[in-house]
Amino acid sequence: MTMQQPGLKGPLLWSLILHSALFGSLAVSTIMSHRGDLWGGPGGGGAVSVKLVGGMAGVPLPRPESVTTNRVVDESKGLYKSEPKPKPQEIPNDATPIPKFTKEKQPRYVTRPSKTLEDPTPPPQNAVPYGQGGSPAVPYSQFGMGAGASTPAGMQFGGPGGGDFGGRFSWYVTAVTSRVSSNWLESTVDPALRWAPRAVVSFDILRNGAVANVQILQSSGNASVDASAMRAIQSSNPMQPLPNEYPGNKVSVEFWFDFRR
Amino acid sequence: MRTFRPAGWRGTAACAVLYGFAFLTMAAAAPGARAQDWFRTGTGLGVNKPKVAVADFVSRNDTSTSLAALFGDVVRNDLDFSGVVEVASKSFYPTQVPSVPMELNYQAWSDPPTSAQFLAFGNLTVTGTSEEIQAWFNDVKNPSAPPVVGQVYRGDANEEQTRRFAHQFADEIIARLSGGIPGVAATQISFVSTRSGNKEIWAMDYDGANEHQLTSLHSIALTPRWSPDADRIAFTCYPTAGSILSAQICVYSTVSSRLLNWPRYRGTNSSPAWSPDGTKIMFMSSMLGNPELFISEADGSRPKRLTHSTGADTSAAWNPKTGQQVAFVSDRGGTPQLYIMDADGSEVQKVELTDKGYVIDPAWSPNGQLLAFSWRRPSGNYDLYVMDIATHALVELTRDAGRNERPSWAPDGRHMVFESTRTGTRQIWSMLADGTEVRQLTTQGQNESPNWSPK
Repeated sequence: MTMQQPGLKGPLLWSLILHSALFGSLAVSTIMSHRGDLWGGPGGGGAVSVKLVGGMAGVPLPRPESVTTNRVVDESKGLYKSEPKPKPQEIPNDATPIPKFTKEKQPRYVTRPSKTLEDPTPPPQNAVPYGQGGSPAVPYSQFGMGAGASTPAGMQFGGPGGGDFGGRFSWYVTAVTSRVSSNWLESTVDPALRWAPRAVVSFDILRNGAVANVQILQSSGNASVDASAMRAIQSSNPMQPLPNEYPGNKVSVEFWFDFRR
Repeated sequence: MRTFRPAGWRGTAACAVLYGFAFLTMAAAAPGARAQDWFRTGTGLGVNKPKVAVADFVSRNDTSTSLAALFGDVVRNDLDFSGVVEVASKSFYPTQVPSVPMELNYQAWSDPPTSAQFLAFGNLTVTGTSEEIQAWFNDVKNPSAPPVVGQVYRGDANEEQTRRFAHQFADEIIARLSGGIPGVAATQISFVSTRSGNKEIWAMDYDGANEHQLTSLHSIALTPRWSPDADRIAFTCYPTAGSILSAQICVYSTVSSRLLNWPRYRGTNSSPAWSPDGTKIMFMSSMLGNPELFISEADGSRPKRLTHSTGADTSAAWNPKTGQQVAFVSDRGGTPQLYIMDADGSEVQKVELTDKGYVIDPAWSPNGQLLAFSWRRPSGNYDLYVMDIATHALVELTRDAGRNERPSWAPDGRHMVFESTRTGTRQIWSMLADGTEVRQLTTQGQNESPNWSPK
């Protein structure tokens, strides 16, 4: 005995009919529902009458702010003139003035602005605006991409956001890794800690190598590990400027730290 | 009664419209979502150094063979000593050597046994008395990637110039691979040598090549210190005043190759130290009787006393990062020990160590986090130690190898130069700051008191 497979034609047809009926009725109902009953229009059917409430038991309403003229006090000038106040008698000042000390004592501690976190390199005067820079068009750097005898890969250029930063500039990734690693100091982690789960920190590297938007993406659960990871990245600021060939403005990095003593 | 459908239908229809809108907006937003490049990396136990191969540089004429070989050797040596990369052994290199990127067989270099991730290669042409070097540094694991470094150097065809170009090229590579810390291949080391008969100030390249004499005062010169802009060297000199020798501070200009005017003070004046901004010099002076630390302007004017103690205070070393702390040696407690004070003379603290003995020659690392010094513990000879300022954790760098003294940091914070008597005579040695890769730089005469130039 073979099972008769039910054909899809019938249900599909029905579904088509029903859907068109549905959308048709939807349209009809939209038109119908807006016909005839003008809200608040004449005819009284939908009119709403509103009455002023004078006062309701238990609900204190504010007094009406009506301006009533005071019959006693008036801002217009009166007939009487008030006498001027007598001047206070001046006491002769025969006291010797306190001498000013020419050599004032310096405050003992002068707080200087921290040099650790400030960006040590202001943008140079001759900085090239974004999009107008890049390596010069000289023959020695224009070829060679994908020219290897055994590799068929050709040039793969994406605009900003090609997404293949790690592939094209793997040396830059290596550089970031080694720089941050060398700044991640064991001494900045709680000495009692032997191991911690992975901490992930994300940050952006701007065109000139400055590090921005450092934040913890995934905490390791230990505050000192998180802080030392943040510190490792902050003390790697500024990094190497982004590669000349890279057209984008900045690169986002997710950097993970596995702590184990 | 206008329609007779259940209330639920209206909701379903609204839902369909909403979904449609949602799809449309998502489709529109998709290009925006990938408008930002990103990559993911991380660190764990140790740092993996990228493996680098340096192919022999191809010489285009017969006359340039030796220069091409020299260029490749210097680059290889610089990279090997940089501490940033691992240089693949030359004996495993493929026989085919590229001279331009067109000839580069990526796979031959990236596969075992070379297993290199990066390759430096290029060619050298000599025309008449000038040379042209084309040098590239490519990522051989990513044939589609543009060259990491591509440079053309043009200059006089001689050994010194070729060496300088090789150092520049190596520095370029190291700067790229270390993430923004420039290499030290173009830096210099000044030191004191007796090979001309007197103790004079000498200077050499960081790898020991190109040793040359700077001063010829025919007396005694000691403790050279580069200024932060590397165009002056302050040192202790002994000008004769009548028949007596008295130690004074002298400043030598490497730009004009002569001594600059520096005032002379009473008593003994020695061991100058530049402030990180180059505007002040701290030095030991006994102009008021007891040997104390003084601070003056860079031209020696307006000396001001900083320390007040019964013992002698000397060998100041500024924190190069902040310029607000100074480590120095004092024997106020009986033996020479390390102390740290603020640059205005306040907040003097002794650096407590776990053992007794003499502690001398403090040198602050460029990032301000580590202090190197030499320490003669009761059990042994002078050896170099590095201390983490924050935790006072100690690392011993040398052991059982003669006297090791006067460490000086390279500007990258990865290298150190020092004097050692491990060969029998006093010579200059350099090493990585973890104590590995020890190399002897000088061999002639007695050489001491090295100082690494800040750039």
